Order: sequence, then structure tokens, then C-alpha cells
Amino acid sequence: MSTDKTDISQELLELVAREGMVDVSDITPESRLEDLDIQSADFVMILMALEEEYGVYISVDNELTNVQTVQDLLTLAQNKIQEGQKDANA
Amino acid sequence: MTRVVVTGIGAVSACGIGADALWTAAATGTSGVRPVSFETLTNQRVGTAAALSDDDKESITEAAGHRMRDPVAQYALVAAREAISQAGLGEADFGDRCGVVIGSGFGGAKTLDDNYIAFGVEKNMRLDPMAVPKIMNNAAASWVSMEFGASGPIYSPSTACSSGSQSIGLGYQLIKSGAIDRCLAGGAEASLVGGVFRVWELLRVMTADKNRPFSKDRNGMTLGEGAGVLVLESLETAQARGAEIICEVAGYATNSDAGDLLRPNPDRAADCMRLALGDAELTAASVGYVNAHGTGTVANDVTETAALRQVFGEDLAGVEVSSTKPIHGHALGAAGAIEAIVTVQALSHQTAPPTINFNEMDPKIGFDPVANTARGIETSTVMSNSLAFGGINASLIFKSFDG
Repeated sequence: MSTDKTDISQELLELVAREGMVDVSDITPESRLEDLDIQSADFVMILMALEEEYGVYISVDNELTNVQTVQDLLTLAQNKIQEGQKDANA
Repeated sequence: MTRVVVTGIGAVSACGIGADALWTAAATGTSGVRPVSFETLTNQRVGTAAALSDDDKESITEAAGHRMRDPVAQYALVAAREAISQAGLGEADFGDRCGVVIGSGFGGAKTLDDNYIAFGVEKNMRLDPMAVPKIMNNAAASWVSMEFGASGPIYSPSTACSSGSQSIGLGYQLIKSGAIDRCLAGGAEASLVGGVFRVWELLRVMTADKNRPFSKDRNGMTLGEGAGVLVLESLETAQARGAEIICEVAGYATNSDAGDLLRPNPDRAADCMRLALGDAELTAASVGYVNAHGTGTVANDVTETAALRQVFGEDLAGVEVSSTKPIHGHALGAAGAIEAIVTVQALSHQTAPPTINFNEMDPKIGFDPVANTARGIETSTVMSNSLAFGGINASLIFKSFDG
């Protein structure tokens, strides 16, 4: 698995599109999740896929409340993946 | 109108066996949360729960074990025995005028989990022949009725996190209406098994850290288990047998959001509290303590705070609000009963138990939920709230018995 930031951003963008059931060509990092009609139930599916593919556990709660755009979600996921890798290497 | 009183309480929780063990833990802020692991979970994400200690499980099995009973029924029986012993009920006090209303969210979860593993994974066709009567949701209530000869109506509300509160409320309504004189009411849950734990992980509402209701850094709940049972009686029958009265059930209400399956609606939770106050013929100003649902999830805590402000005023003046879930965990179908018992004891001891693990005020919440240390209260009236998945709200109000 690549840990290069750009690669992972693209992978994550595809994951969000797949699990949020939106066309990947319709989303940009600036897209608001609300505008894409990605709702709380879709979040659960996205977070499950993140756990399966990157081994990170993100609960639906506090850290997600400030997530408004696709980029916010990508940033949170990237931070969690990096934290997880740090823990694994520690 | 028939008045309804509480004459006995019994509890089983991660804090130990007995309502006193529960209260001591709640008042001193001593958490029953401990590390848990499940054989069937190869990659467990959340490592803690308010599970009963191994010693307590063992002594419960010794006291109430039976090849036809899942742990959920054992927990209920042990809690019921304690409540009945405190109430001083004798053989003649049961019969057709005594009902049993004990709810559960998951019923016989261990039996179901074990048998699915045996069937689906081990391809074993020799499953537990007693699985059906062990799994059924009303098993706990039925075992309690059989042990004591309580042959009145049995109900077993399965309304997720409101099961326990609704059971107590329904028992109260049955007595108030004159249908019965006495009721063993509460909730039981024993769902800390691999399969159930994993689906809670997947719903992502559990914290991998600590449960911190109303705190800015909260990020989810911690599961619990156990049982709570109350002996409810009409005032007349309690007095006729010279029972010691712990407090009065002043009011109860339940309603539903008819909205979102998972996301609570503050307006409806507020309506529910107002309905309960109306039933009790009391004003919000008379309530000195509220045991909140307070799961420590973002969705619940912000919503519940908004609802509380609608009912008790923007500044929540004169009322202490706390969540004791970080202490006994979120016991799901038993939660409302365990928390009602904490609330009744808060009234008896004139002490608001603390919300432990609290770090920092959240501007979106903006009140101090009796942070970390218990506080004295001077009040005759207390409330316990449950807000369940499925949009089911339930509010119970207890008041000091004043003759």
C-alpha cells in the first residue's frame, strides 16, 4: 500500500465515492458532503471501509462533527492512518 | 387516583452485585469499566466495557445458574431477589395481583451467539436444544415470575435503550390503573458477546478511549451489562403490609420521534419530559436532579442538552444533570432500570452522582454535568431519562414519600 500523500488522497477519494454511492467524477476535495447527499448511514459505510483497508478505527463522534467537506474527511482519515502506522511501528 | 411507591430495589452491574455496590460506585465516581476481549474477534477495535467481573459472574451462576437460563435471566433473577428481599414480600404478596415487566434489548445474546458459531462456523448440528427458551426476550421476566409465583401480567418491552425505563413506566401505569397492585419492574441485558460487540463497533458509536458524556473531547459510549429490578406497589397495599417506602413514582411518559431511526429529536425528548411532569402534576422547577441518558456520543449529548434547556430553562438553573454511564456503562435494555435505581438513591442520599472522565466544557453543550465529583442536592424530586434508537423517549419522575 502506498503511503504517498497524493496517492492515498486519490485512493481515499475513490473509497468515499464508492461507499457514499456517488460518482467519483462528481466529487472534488472541496465538495460538501451534504451537497453530495452523503448522510450519517453512509458515513458508517465509509468508516467501515477505512477500517478494512487501512486498519484505522474512527468513531462516528467528536472528530467527525467538524467534517463538512470531502477534504475534511480525507484529512481526518489521513491523520488517523498516520497515527495508526506510528502506533504499529512504535 | 392510585399512588405508586417503590419498596425495593435490586441491581447487578459492572460495579458489583447489589444496589448498594452500584450506588457506592456512582457516588464515589468509581468506574466498573474494564478490559474485555472476545475469542471470536480477531481484530478488536474497542478494548473496554463495563462488564461484570469474573468473580461476580461466577457467584451469579452459583446463585441462579440453570441449564435453561441464559446469563440475562440470571442477572434479572439476582436483581429481583434483592429487591424482593428489601421490600419484605412474602408468598401471599404475589399471585394474580402481582405483574412482572422486565425488558431486554438483546435477550439471550450469549446463547444466540454461541449457537450461531456452532452452527455456522463449526457446522455442528447438535446445538443447544434449550436455545429457543433461553434466547426469547421474555425469558428473564418469565423466570422471575416463576420463582416468586407472580402470576399477573408479564410484559417484556424490547425498545433498545428505553426498555428498562418503559418497563418501570408500564408497571407504574398498570398499578395506577388498578389492573394490578404490585409489579416487579426493570430491565436486563447480557449482550457482551463477540457478535454483538462487533456490530456495535461497526456502528462506530463506541469510544476506543474513555466514555466522557457532555465533555468536549467525548467520542462515543462504552457498553455495559447487568440488570435492575424495582418492586412497585400501590400505596394502599404497601401501607397495608407495613412496608418501608423508599420513594414514590410521581410520573412517567413515553413518546416517539417518528423521525430518524438513529438520530434523536430534541423537541420530542423535551415533549416527553413535559408529559412526565404533567403526569406527576409537577413543574420543572421542582426537579433538583436529572440522570441524563448521556451516552457520550455527539448525537445524543447535544440533542439531550437542547431538550433539557427547553424544559428546565436556558441556564438549567436549580437542577443538577449528570450521566452515570461512564461508571456502569451503557447497559442498553437494562440501562433505564440501572439508572432509575441510581436516581432513586440520589434522592434518598440527597446527592447528585458525578459525570466522571469529564475534561472540558463543550461550547455546543455549555453546562457542568456535576463534573467528576458528587454534589449535594436539596430536592424532593428527581428524573431519569432514556432516549433510544428507534426514536423512543422515556422519562421517569420519582419524589420523596411525604405520607
